[in-house]
Amino acid sequence: MKWILMGILFACCVVVGYIFSSKYKKRMSFFSTLILLAQKLDVEINFSRERLKKLIESFDEKSRGALLGIDKAFIDYLENGGELTGERLFGKNNLIKSEDREIVTIFFRSLGRSDVENQSKEIKNSISRFEKLLNDASSENKKYGKLGTKLGIITGLAIIIILI
Amino acid sequence: MLEGILPDNILNIISNKVNWQTVNELRLRADKPIVITIGGNKFFLGETGLVTKLNEAIFSNKTMIEDIIFRASECSLYSVNEQIKRGYIMTRGGIRIGIGGNLIEEAGVIKTMTNFSSLNIRIPHEIKNCSLKAFNNIVSNDKVLNTLIIAPPGAGKTTFLRDFVFQLSDRNLAYNVLVLDERGELDTGKRGALGNFSDVISFAKKKVGFENGIRSLSPDLIITDELNEQEDIDAVRYAVNCGVNILASTHADSLETFIKKEAFKKIIEEKVFKRYILLSCREGPGTFEGVFNENFSRTQIFY
Repeated sequence: MKWILMGILFACCVVVGYIFSSKYKKRMSFFSTLILLAQKLDVEINFSRERLKKLIESFDEKSRGALLGIDKAFIDYLENGGELTGERLFGKNNLIKSEDREIVTIFFRSLGRSDVENQSKEIKNSISRFEKLLNDASSENKKYGKLGTKLGIITGLAIIIILI
Repeated sequence: MLEGILPDNILNIISNKVNWQTVNELRLRADKPIVITIGGNKFFLGETGLVTKLNEAIFSNKTMIEDIIFRASECSLYSVNEQIKRGYIMTRGGIRIGIGGNLIEEAGVIKTMTNFSSLNIRIPHEIKNCSLKAFNNIVSNDKVLNTLIIAPPGAGKTTFLRDFVFQLSDRNLAYNVLVLDERGELDTGKRGALGNFSDVISFAKKKVGFENGIRSLSPDLIITDELNEQEDIDAVRYAVNCGVNILASTHADSLETFIKKEAFKKIIEEKVFKRYILLSCREGPGTFEGVFNENFSRTQIFY
């Protein structure tokens, strides 16, 4: 019984550590996917000039998962109108820092508001900002990403030792 | 009709307190009252519906205007920039929204329009049989004579053309009709509205549309809206020389004004158009003032 309890505690610590680590991976993946989306929008707006809703919907289904639901929230805004706020875009998701959310919200707010030339410039500007955010997220992932899992394992082992 | 485009409060008032079927146009100007035109008469839009007192009117503002344009473009202004450059946006369903603002020019070329300050939303109406009064003057021995509809803005030119195409089809006059819809107003997308024998080319300039249409669709008759420039007249001449008949429209409030239009002088002399139909707003949009032959003699008077 004691061993089973120790096993469960160890697993819990590792899972908590992993969840802590995956937060950094998800942030990295979010920004890299956002860059891909922005690049796609830039190309399509320049060449096909298709409506935003269609462009977002046609973005790779698998990649859309990494966008933390902001694509769906943006489509809802396109369909139903109203104000596009950070809360509306990100919902209760708190993986992205509030200052980064603001940058992403400004990007989505600027979409569809100007002619091809200016829209393309704005998207390119946003891509460079996203690249900076991706770099930050990437260095944070390097710094703290594996730390969480390691800490989880160490804590789990420590608990086992104490219990023994 | 304008759901998702007009702000909810304005849409609710118009839907509940104004009869949509009677509205000709809706004008919004920044920091000015919203004006509705019904049967040629102008009213302010108020919380209670149509009002005549300024202090009861609802005022529009720049944000409202920008938002309507954004929504009308399906949240994608870049996709309708070519239309914006020409001063309008067409929504799905054939509603034309005229836009006022700052035109941005670079080296003499219009690049876009910004700082939108006014809107004119024209509500299209399908008035069944409105072209019948003049139908027999245009169609002679099962042949459609080259005809020009002359009318001031908002007098029912487009409605006439649309109904005429339908009437041809309804009488089984199986002409291959090419509808050259430069501004996207003739084809409202409503099923059957343009009959069963029509092909549509949208958003093409007259010259390109006529040349491509004649080459690829071999029409018997071309129907088009708003001939204005010399290039349009040349396109008409090209079509007539190819043996295609024309039914078109142009802006003018009287025959006298029309005759003075520089671009038309030569084509009038050449008697290309065999019929001229004059419409006005005298008794509301679509008032027939008369049908005239190539010598501008009346063939029919309407009272």
